[in-house]
Amino acid sequence: MQPDRAAEHLEVIRTLMERSAVYRRALAPVMTLAGVLGTAAAAAGWLLHFETPLVFTGFWLCVGFLTAISAFLLIRQQALKQKEDFLTPPTRRIIHALLPSLLVGLILGIVIVAIELKKPASARSIVDAGIDLTWLPLIWIVLYGCALHAAGFFTPRGLRLFGWAFVLGGCTLFIYWALIGFDSVRPQRNGHVLMGLFFGVLHLAYGTYLSVTERKNAA
Amino acid sequence: MNPTPFLQLDRVIHEKGRLAIMSMLAASPELAFTEMRDLLNMTDGNLTTHIRTLQEAGYVAIAKSYQNNRPLTTCSLTPAGRKAFADYVNLLEQIVQQTKGK
Repeated sequence: MQPDRAAEHLEVIRTLMERSAVYRRALAPVMTLAGVLGTAAAAAGWLLHFETPLVFTGFWLCVGFLTAISAFLLIRQQALKQKEDFLTPPTRRIIHALLPSLLVGLILGIVIVAIELKKPASARSIVDAGIDLTWLPLIWIVLYGCALHAAGFFTPRGLRLFGWAFVLGGCTLFIYWALIGFDSVRPQRNGHVLMGLFFGVLHLAYGTYLSVTERKNAA
Repeated sequence: MNPTPFLQLDRVIHEKGRLAIMSMLAASPELAFTEMRDLLNMTDGNLTTHIRTLQEAGYVAIAKSYQNNRPLTTCSLTPAGRKAFADYVNLLEQIVQQTKGK
């Protein structure tokens, strides 16, 4: 055997070992759960007029936290069912990949809540909501897309493309709003619609796609 | 060049398909047959033949069970298989090192 062939063999072994260590638990239930919570939260926020930056940001931070806890419990249940450790190496890799972007989104939300809390109650009006409510959902959408894209390197299929849908969708809207002028955007209502579309409907669509393909693969 | 490492390469593992199976199993406690078939893009027959060869060499253990009322075949490396794989990788590294040392 030639030395360069041996090096090639080692590279193939490494690639295969990495590929077999990808996350293999079903993603469909997690995506569907996130979709249901996202859609319900958007409908609630829209109907209950959570429109000031403080309430909007605080509300969606709570929804994010609730979704993360629910997903954690669901994945833990899957692990218990399969008699596996919860924190398998692929799960750990996915958590590491998700964390930076999600942490930035969380800190951004906390900063906005902190700034709003410092204002006197009379100043926390819808009139001041423009900048926060126009930019914040878009930034959250793009950051979440980046998180999914990074995690997608450790999952079998589709997650990276799903991440791209968030990144491109967020960026396209940002460009569109910049072209028509941010002043003409009605962020008070659009914020919840945007969050519902991306974090609710998109997750539901992906969850449905995964449950169909996962069932096909199991058959 | 010292030819010894070449001669010591395990012929059972050295075949492309079996090396791929051993590599995947080395990174996972166990893998389902269907999962390996999909990841390696192999046919059922091809994968079965390779696994049988590895099983006869004592490198791979097969377990049959049921999941959601469906038969589930899982494969894992035996301790002998793990050692043979580690030895194989060490030999490849030695071959690569020989040229680096020149």
